[in-house]
Amino acid sequence: MSENANPNPPRDAANWATPVDKLDVGTIPDQAMNLNVQGRRPMSPLQGFGQLWQKTYRIRLQDTAVTPQQVIAAWKANFPSFWPKGNNFYGPLQGVRPGEVAVLNLTMPGGAKLSTGVRVIYADDESFSFMTPQGHMFAGMITFSASADGRAPDASDAGGVTVIQIQALVRGSDPLYEASFRLGFGHKAEDKFWFDTLRNLAAYFDASGQEPTLTSVCVDKKVQWSEAGNIWHNAAIRSAIYLPIHFSRRLFRKS
Amino acid sequence: MAEKTAAFFAKTRWEGETAVLDLHGEINSLAEAALDAAYATAEQGNPVKIVLNFAGVDYINSTGIALIVGLLARARAAHRPIAAAGLSEHYKEIFTITRLSDFMEIQ
Repeated sequence: MSENANPNPPRDAANWATPVDKLDVGTIPDQAMNLNVQGRRPMSPLQGFGQLWQKTYRIRLQDTAVTPQQVIAAWKANFPSFWPKGNNFYGPLQGVRPGEVAVLNLTMPGGAKLSTGVRVIYADDESFSFMTPQGHMFAGMITFSASADGRAPDASDAGGVTVIQIQALVRGSDPLYEASFRLGFGHKAEDKFWFDTLRNLAAYFDASGQEPTLTSVCVDKKVQWSEAGNIWHNAAIRSAIYLPIHFSRRLFRKS
Repeated sequence: MAEKTAAFFAKTRWEGETAVLDLHGEINSLAEAALDAAYATAEQGNPVKIVLNFAGVDYINSTGIALIVGLLARARAAHRPIAAAGLSEHYKEIFTITRLSDFMEIQ
């Protein structure tokens, strides 16, 4: 089996991030709780503890002339603004670009705050992908894409209805997160989060009234006990411990 | 046996008890059906190992990587070793970024 011998750089070369062992957070606003990202390793879908799920969320933009490329351009430029209220995405000002690291401050069920992050591993005109770090509730990749008329995101046909898709290929990172998914509230919170995001995107393009859909496939039902030690990095536990310190610092900074 | 889509096709051949999937073209969401079919063909022969040969691949996007992760998860669930061959330096780098290289032998 010979090595791929094409001397020209592949067409996808500029769309991929470069490899890193550990994440490095750039400048983010003072109000952000920057925890559980700096120095953490990115996690592939194979490195989590729980069942491996492929979850695909979709919404159709009926009665608008917006193209997949326009959707992705707006989404990449204004990614945080489409998130549900109470959740913050602190990314670079330039928007979503390969290699960038963002800090996420999320509101969990029950109102608890969680600080984690993502790394942009891929971005082109019709899609972009994030990879999660150690401690995130999921280990894996999430791909955001738009396509024409329900065709695959790679189809070049710009006619018809544009369909926006979020596809997560993820495992619960550790036994605690996996328990929340098995009990149902973890998946429920995740599904609501992405449904709300899709509704916000549809509203931005004046295509309100469409309801998102979800297709879930369990790719691997087994848990990986060898990865149970991931709980050491659990961002929910670490955020809960750190939260009083964060607010004290902000208070003293103000006074 | 060859499984084909517009810009991608996969051919399954045997080297002893190892099934080799020769992949050609672009691995993106359009490749899903052909890739799955080729993998299923290989699995039917109960190989001791599956090798994905990327020598003929000239494009992989993030959806394509997700497809490969899916195959790897299926192989791991079946305790079947899986390896990647014919990767250019660029694609070796992508396998490092996505940490696929932690779980696949790179030949």
